[in-house]
Amino acid sequence: MTPIVQFRKFSVWYGDAPALQEISLDVQSHEILGIIGPAGGGKTSLLRSLNRMNDFDPRFRCDGVLQFQGVDLYRQPVDVAVLRRKMGMVFAVPIPLPGSILENLELGPRLDGRSERLDDRIETCLKAAYLWDEVKDRLNLAAQSLSGGQQQRLCLARSLMLQPDVLLLDEPCSGLDPISTAKIEEALQILKKDLTVILVTNNVMQASRVADRTAFFLQGKLIEVGQTQQIFVNPKETLTHEYISGRFG
Amino acid sequence: MSRWIKVIAAAFTSLTGLSCLVILAMVVIILGDIVIHGAPGVSWEFLSSAPKAGMTEGGIFPAIFGTVALVILMTIAVVPLGVAAAIYLQEYASQDSKLVHLVRLALQNLAGVPAIVFGLFGLGLFVEFAGGSIDALFFGGKLTFGQPCIFWAALTLAVLTLPTVVVATEESLRAVPRSYREAAYALGATRWQVVRYVVLPQSISGILTGTILAISRGAGEVAPIMFTGAAYFLPHLPTKLNDQFMELGYHVYVMATQSPDVEKTKPVLYSTVFVLLAVTFLLNFAAVLIRSRIRRRLRST
Repeated sequence: MTPIVQFRKFSVWYGDAPALQEISLDVQSHEILGIIGPAGGGKTSLLRSLNRMNDFDPRFRCDGVLQFQGVDLYRQPVDVAVLRRKMGMVFAVPIPLPGSILENLELGPRLDGRSERLDDRIETCLKAAYLWDEVKDRLNLAAQSLSGGQQQRLCLARSLMLQPDVLLLDEPCSGLDPISTAKIEEALQILKKDLTVILVTNNVMQASRVADRTAFFLQGKLIEVGQTQQIFVNPKETLTHEYISGRFG
Repeated sequence: MSRWIKVIAAAFTSLTGLSCLVILAMVVIILGDIVIHGAPGVSWEFLSSAPKAGMTEGGIFPAIFGTVALVILMTIAVVPLGVAAAIYLQEYASQDSKLVHLVRLALQNLAGVPAIVFGLFGLGLFVEFAGGSIDALFFGGKLTFGQPCIFWAALTLAVLTLPTVVVATEESLRAVPRSYREAAYALGATRWQVVRYVVLPQSISGILTGTILAISRGAGEVAPIMFTGAAYFLPHLPTKLNDQFMELGYHVYVMATQSPDVEKTKPVLYSTVFVLLAVTFLLNFAAVLIRSRIRRRLRST
């Protein structure tokens, strides 16, 4: 099966500072790829290259190939709005937009020009994000009045409303309590039936719990990628071993 | 030594406190004087009729009407232009482009230009050049827009208040968190959609604050309208854009300087100043009301 995302010698710079160096990596459909590594390793740069959120940084520059569904994102013409609808993104900090829960969920489809009622999809997405039971009676409540954990699950549901092919998660549980974290992790296991997940996490244990495969990034280089179990039990590289056993990072 | 420190501290405290008292006293004296001398002369007849007997009798209705019409026209002109410019500067233009620096510099300079210069500028650019050209092109040279009128006066005031609106709008756009924009972009929003659905709803109350400031400024200015449309005395109210108009501030100026009998016009003068303040306050109040309604509507959804 052809990978849904392919990096081939893909490099990124911000100004003169390299953020990613000659990354070659495949992401398969319906897998959860965990990305671990210390801060400044290029994890977020990788995600933001995928949905082209780096476009807003005038210092951004890249080289090599990054293909998504067979399209070279930086060499072929790409409608970034369409691309971003195919790649839902959840940020490290929950960003509920002003307005109600309902308005947050409907925003994506509305921006796509859809005006019909989306009750079924809203229910499906909220259930998928394990939030439905907590908010089903108060969808008109201001999104910003939810708790942090609820807000982040709302952001996950909001991304799912786009019916994306890929979900880009940038340390989605970094500020969350263990219960909310567990709910999001459970949600991902079910979601991967329908889509592909790229999960950047600072929490090594989270990768070991959730990811099918895990990639270890250090200072902009891909050190090692493999089945999660292999990476955690029997890493090929000493650096990987040292990182997951907590010796640096 | 320590006693000296205490004395200096006490002196400094009294000095700063005294400064505040002076400010308060100024406001009380000015407003008190105007209210005491002006309020008794304000009657329904004063508010609803035209000046009579060389402005020593009668009312000031045409000037009230002219002021309100002028400020409304000015607002219609300045708000869309100023808001659009601010959106471009803040949301579209690259922040280190030469154009952005140039426009910001121009706005700062515009804010520092004396009001009387705007008056002369309005006369030259709007009345003579723009108005004259319109007459030559569309009215066969017949004097229609090539004369001072409420339209040109409103546009002149709009230029005067433009920096206020642009700066206030830019401030409120800047206050919208970057993360909101990113979240919207990540949902597939185009730049225009980010502005329309995320940035503008968040900054609307700041934009209206800028509008209120512009109204306060515009309603009180006399110099910019002296040559561009305000009239000494008119038997009719302005009904067309190219009519001249009476205006409260200008009316005050005329009564204080041009009246044949200054002593006799004094009570009318006081009452007119009182009404000018009241009208400015009411225009402000209306804008504040609109702003709080919009805020409430945004919060309830």
